[in-house]
Amino acid sequence: MQRVRTAYGASPLHALAVIASFALAGYAFLRIAESPSALGTFLWFGAAIVAHDLLAFPLYSTLNLIAHRSPLGPSGEWLEGRRVPAINHLRVPAILGGIYFLMFFPLILGLDSTRYAHYTGQSADIYLTRWLGLCAALFLGSALIYAIRLRRAPGPADGPAPTGS
Amino acid sequence: MKLRPPRLPQEPPPGPTRPAFWRSPLRGPWLTSLLGSALLPLVIVCAVTGFLSQAAYDPSLGGNSLLPRGGLGFDLYFFSWPTRPSYLYALTQGLHVTTGLIAIPLLLAKLWSVMPKLFEWPPVRSMAHLLERASLALLVGGSLFVFFTGLLNIQLYYPWPFRFLTAHYYGSFVFLAAFALHVGLKLPTVSRAFRERGVLRPLRADLRHTAAEPYREGTTAPLEPDAPTMSRRTLLATIGAASLGAGLMGAAQSIGGPLRSLGLLAPHGRQAGSGPNGFQINKTAESVGIKPSQIGRGWRLKLAGRSQTELTRDELLAMPQRTYDLPIACVEGWSTTQAWTGVRLRDLAAVVGVDDPGEVVVESLQSGGALREVTLSSGQVADDRSLLALRVNGSDLSPDHGYPARVIIPAAPGVHCTKWVSSMQFEAA
Repeated sequence: MQRVRTAYGASPLHALAVIASFALAGYAFLRIAESPSALGTFLWFGAAIVAHDLLAFPLYSTLNLIAHRSPLGPSGEWLEGRRVPAINHLRVPAILGGIYFLMFFPLILGLDSTRYAHYTGQSADIYLTRWLGLCAALFLGSALIYAIRLRRAPGPADGPAPTGS
Repeated sequence: MKLRPPRLPQEPPPGPTRPAFWRSPLRGPWLTSLLGSALLPLVIVCAVTGFLSQAAYDPSLGGNSLLPRGGLGFDLYFFSWPTRPSYLYALTQGLHVTTGLIAIPLLLAKLWSVMPKLFEWPPVRSMAHLLERASLALLVGGSLFVFFTGLLNIQLYYPWPFRFLTAHYYGSFVFLAAFALHVGLKLPTVSRAFRERGVLRPLRADLRHTAAEPYREGTTAPLEPDAPTMSRRTLLATIGAASLGAGLMGAAQSIGGPLRSLGLLAPHGRQAGSGPNGFQINKTAESVGIKPSQIGRGWRLKLAGRSQTELTRDELLAMPQRTYDLPIACVEGWSTTQAWTGVRLRDLAAVVGVDDPGEVVVESLQSGGALREVTLSSGQVADDRSLLALRVNGSDLSPDHGYPARVIIPAAPGVHCTKWVSSMQFEAA
């Protein structure tokens, strides 16, 4: 038992579970391989990983870094002074608007608006307006909350500074 | 068996392979465990309702199965799809799409939380580690592939070269195989994180009291965390709000009625016109090549059974009419309930001498589409509420809703409620 563990790197149960999982995934891959568009399917499968791990993740991390270093970012003084940290009032609506864009970009950008209109009998034009309206409402609401927090925040001499959230 | 790539340095090269590269004080086993625990029930419901959707097509009948035949292919289903309750498919498919929508923000957050794992050093420690990482590639690729193909499908956007249904179905096998393994392997990690830090206790900490989880080699807790700028509860509330909003959009287009307008970005999230025919259209008459001449005065319904006959629309209207409130429930997760009036399928079977009808093959005038011909089960034909509808909400069907006549079956998927019916062939039970 211990020999297996040392050679393999985990318990034999681990190996059995992995084999069972790969068997099922392998079956599905074989089924996909039978279809005429097998190569395209596998490419999209791999592209999904690349698109997320090597494009989307670095992109939004960079945007976060830019926000951090912008005047709205935490300068380090706000804990002492009257200022209320602004960064989350920027990040929270941006995360929400960004996620909804990622989820509904085909409709928002009207990527195949002809098909949509053809099938449903309705125009896809409203989605860009709706998404922009949603973003406007999110950022406006966030700014409003920020303004209220700023007014309520005690001055430097008024005791402990407010916390983020 | 022990893999020891000789040329890799023991020290990770500069960049993301070094633990100190990852600065977020929020990453750690607890955060990942909580996101994973939220995803688990969603994935289970989404998977079960997905396979139920397969069963709802009654794939054993006629040409109903949409999966490629032959080889080792199979449709996962265990029963003939029932007709009660009439909202059954609206519910299961609404749940399928809505749980999928809810899961996506959580999935993205979960992937963010485990990102340092992608750059682990050394990349391979042992055979077990190598296999586990390969399985994680299937998990990440599978989840993104399955969720996003579904997401683009409900928006009628098909930028890929493959058939959606086959890829989504078999892609979900890959995803679920890797998912089940992942849940099994990570249970100890989750229970340890919850035991050490409490399931919800870290949510009590505001920003001032937010601290990084203690660094431990091999986990995602940061070695050199930055000062926190967001509490865990703010992060989770944001992701939760995104999920809640996405869920609302899904629910709005599934429940319909006055709620529909809340489906801000949902593909069927607005009222479709006004009047008796002012409700959601899956495919317009024009989009499937229905010409006005085909559905004009010359239209006849061809009936076949023990005998054969052709009926005009007036002759159908002269038969006993029934009216029922029944939903049209689309595979894309939207539904709408309307009052349909028409002739019972059983009565049509009797016209051609089939008094104890079994299955019926329904054919449409539409020129294309996998489901221009559908086989309905004997249980569906036997239900009193299964109609060949001629009118809706007290008015003639519009061309886009299937004029001159369409099938309406309680609890059946919308694509089985064939529009522009041209012929029906009844079998005896």
